[in-house]
Amino acid sequence: MIKKVHHVGVVVRDMEQAMRFYRDVLGLPVHKIEILYEQGVKAALLKVGDSEVELLEPVVADNGVARYLEKKGEGLHHICFEVDDVERDLTSLKARGVELIDQQTRIGLAGRICFLHPSAVDGALVELCQPLPDDVVHAAQVAAAPHGESA
Amino acid sequence: MSDFTLDHVVIAVQDLDAATEDYTALLGREPSWRGEHPKYGTKNTLFRIDNTYIELLSLGAGKGDKRWAGELSRFFQNSGDGLYALALGTSDVNAAVREARDNGLDVLDPSDGEGVDLISGARRQWRNAQVPLKSSNGARIFFIQHKSPPDALPVAATIDGVGAGAPSGCVKRMDHAVVLSADMEASRRVWGEAIGARLALDRTFPERNTRILFFRLGDITVEISGGAAQSKEGVGKPDRMWGIAWGVDSIDAACARLAAAGIETSGPRPGIKPGTIIATVKGPQTHGVATLLIEHTAESFRPESREPHGMAYDNAPATADRPQARAFHAVALDHVVFATADLEATAAKWAATLGLPVTETGTIDARGARPGFRMAKLPAGNAFVELVQPLQPPTSTIQPPAQGMFSMSIEVDDLDAAVRDLRAKGVLVSDPAPGAWPGTRTAQVNKQAANGVPLQLLQRS
Repeated sequence: MIKKVHHVGVVVRDMEQAMRFYRDVLGLPVHKIEILYEQGVKAALLKVGDSEVELLEPVVADNGVARYLEKKGEGLHHICFEVDDVERDLTSLKARGVELIDQQTRIGLAGRICFLHPSAVDGALVELCQPLPDDVVHAAQVAAAPHGESA
Repeated sequence: MSDFTLDHVVIAVQDLDAATEDYTALLGREPSWRGEHPKYGTKNTLFRIDNTYIELLSLGAGKGDKRWAGELSRFFQNSGDGLYALALGTSDVNAAVREARDNGLDVLDPSDGEGVDLISGARRQWRNAQVPLKSSNGARIFFIQHKSPPDALPVAATIDGVGAGAPSGCVKRMDHAVVLSADMEASRRVWGEAIGARLALDRTFPERNTRILFFRLGDITVEISGGAAQSKEGVGKPDRMWGIAWGVDSIDAACARLAAAGIETSGPRPGIKPGTIIATVKGPQTHGVATLLIEHTAESFRPESREPHGMAYDNAPATADRPQARAFHAVALDHVVFATADLEATAAKWAATLGLPVTETGTIDARGARPGFRMAKLPAGNAFVELVQPLQPPTSTIQPPAQGMFSMSIEVDDLDAAVRDLRAKGVLVSDPAPGAWPGTRTAQVNKQAANGVPLQLLQRS
């Protein structure tokens, strides 16, 4: 079911500052930067070979990423594996009684996604994703909030 | 040039009483008008706010003109409740129709209309002209010239209940309407060339895969939003009326007011435009209209804030068409390390839960201050998962977490060059040394430099 490591998620305090290391010093090309309204984060995906590093900066005070930052500080947050069919895998995980964060798949920056509970693999936060075309992901972001406040 | 304003916005609702109650709560205002259109076979509720008015439109009891009621019925069948139409105000509808037709826009002949307020018996007259959906690229638009004086439709009374001087949580004005477009050039022609609205902004954000067009109608913006690049599939597809952003004086007060009314919001958060604070209204009370509340702070009116956000991210150093001479290249994610207190038990969970079995194991003996550890490799396509179990309790210098994600290893094409380059840029890096896995050399980047990530650079021989 797992095809590859889609990305490794890193929580950062300041996206611009993190960009200076990951983009400018390590030289990872920026693939995508978006504000995910539903999740309350600013996210950047930087390419490293055929995988990616995802930098996450909370933009609200009351979500999981913000609480993680407050409690543990900056650092590694989750690993995301790309799969063929995330709906099928989620159904299978549920049937096997694996502890989950998401009972249903949803649209994230990486496509259709779901998160497992860290207890499922002894403390590692694991995300599964099935990439979708950019315009589908974009439409879902727009659905979460009409963006682009008037200039 | 046209003199169009955004006269009003129409929201189609199947249950007018329920929707009136919901929008009274959402806007924080009592309706200005509860009426019917004897000629159209429709009925409505109106709320006049500072710079426009909102019309909730529903099917009426009477036998009206089939064209209006029939079109509304079809909308309900296809879409349910939702944003239905934008009414463009003009002081001379006949002239506006002539001009639009000259610009190549098909517009139906203007006709007179009348509404009756069911409570006061007041009547309002207008003359309007509809733009067929085919002609407008999917957004329902009509031109309207009011014959009755503006005060025939009173301003909707606020029901905020705040004391004098307290910030209001009521909706004051409309900030912008959002139309989703799959064919941006077609939308640009309709709104810019045919309707003649002023194009205030046409900007593409590649990193957000978004292109936005701002058209001004008076002090209200119609935002056309689409993908950064035109897709072949999108050409010729109709626009979709999507949502509205309502201006409030205080987003905190607005969120508190809505919470008290049982309407869920995202809570205040910074908007994309600097100086704005926004909140998304969730839940069924919006009747299918994507709804945003927006507060402009003093900062959002400063000249530098008038630049839409998004340009702060300069992708230039790494884009393919502007390659930069680099001392080294990061070529792959090599592996990600997870610490455990029980290698076998954790490996069994990875295999059972995610189908990733162990293919290789190893042991590294303690060396100096570094504890020894056992390790296991679980290949996952392009990279591998490494589980490590310390062989003795953590020391004062090395304290891996007992459980969980520990470090990340990135493969570079030239480790020595990478170490030199990072040091030249002021980043602390250890000297290159043989790695834990055969055929590798590695160096450790200072955790603080990499935003809290224990980062290993690795070169394979």
